[in-house]
Amino acid sequence: MTAEAPTNGRVRVWDFPTRLSHWTLVSLFGVCWWTAKSDHMRWHRIAGYGVLGVVLFRLAWGFCGGQTARFGDFVRGPAATCRYVRKLLGHRGEDAPAPIGHNPLGALSILVMLALLLTQTTLGLFAVNVDGFASGPFARWVSFGTGRRFAHLHAATFQLLLAMIGVHLAAIGFYRLARNESLVPPMIHGFKSRAPSGVVPYFVPWWRALFLATGIFLFVALLLSMR
Amino acid sequence: MLLLGAVLALGTVGIAWATAGLAPIVHARQSHFKALGRAAKSLRDQIGRSEPDWSIVASDAREIERLAAALPSWFPEGSGRGHGVKTRARAAIWAKPQEFGQAARRLLNRAQDLTRAAATRDPRALALRTRALGQACGSCHRRFRARSSWW
Repeated sequence: MTAEAPTNGRVRVWDFPTRLSHWTLVSLFGVCWWTAKSDHMRWHRIAGYGVLGVVLFRLAWGFCGGQTARFGDFVRGPAATCRYVRKLLGHRGEDAPAPIGHNPLGALSILVMLALLLTQTTLGLFAVNVDGFASGPFARWVSFGTGRRFAHLHAATFQLLLAMIGVHLAAIGFYRLARNESLVPPMIHGFKSRAPSGVVPYFVPWWRALFLATGIFLFVALLLSMR
Repeated sequence: MLLLGAVLALGTVGIAWATAGLAPIVHARQSHFKALGRAAKSLRDQIGRSEPDWSIVASDAREIERLAAALPSWFPEGSGRGHGVKTRARAAIWAKPQEFGQAARRLLNRAQDLTRAAATRDPRALALRTRALGQACGSCHRRFRARSSWW
């Protein structure tokens, strides 16, 4: 650990919209999983629309949200990512200060996770079940066979998502055990107990999130009304 | 060693022979059910429109009724899971033949109701009968088909 005397007290790292997006995705993923297993398709569709909305919101928030939510702040190139991995594995390298928000590896997993979720919801919009009696809102634009193919891809992407969630949870465990860093509480209350570099990230006013969420809600509603 | 090989070879041939008879049955059944799903989807696509194309509705309904009437014959004894060919047909189909027969008759009845509704050209009756038909499909799949209705 390179940090000099940490600033006393806590520093805010995650803004409310970022945290809310995260936990909403977690719960909606659970709802989607259970409703698919138990064939409650009406609720599965509704939860799926929710996932679509939250993913779109998080993508947009990555451009206009608080500092730690912005892709520009945490997505790093291959060289920076390699440096970070070497440091993580204990190789002494040049000491770049640890990022206050997502680290470069976390950034990768966020990109993959959001891309998978967007793929997943898009596939679901066209999916058709075996008896042709349950389907996504846009299934009318594709044939039965194509809709079935969408459903199978939907199932395959689900497996990828499960794997990604496994990686995510394993990383949390690794940080807890190997680096004695708890990642879950900050994602709940938004604060980290110390600032390794003394950097305090900037945040944006709450109404920006409200404005964005309203826009995305209308967009999704409009999209679904096209069916 | 040679004997063992011969026995194994014979066994393999035997299994291959048994599944060779079973595979066409299972595959035919799957293609019948796909035709049923295709007709059901086509029907639902028409219901979603502001003005259904009644000739498509009528032909879909006829197709569904024809397939529903034939359905019990797609399940000969020994064509379920665990006979060497991959299928989602549960053993319960043959363990509870009465229940399965009832479910099949229910499907046929509802398909006939649907054909009648299609002939009246009443969109509300059509939507109602289609939903009832879907329930017949779903409730039978829940009991006699393995896994969720999505794969």
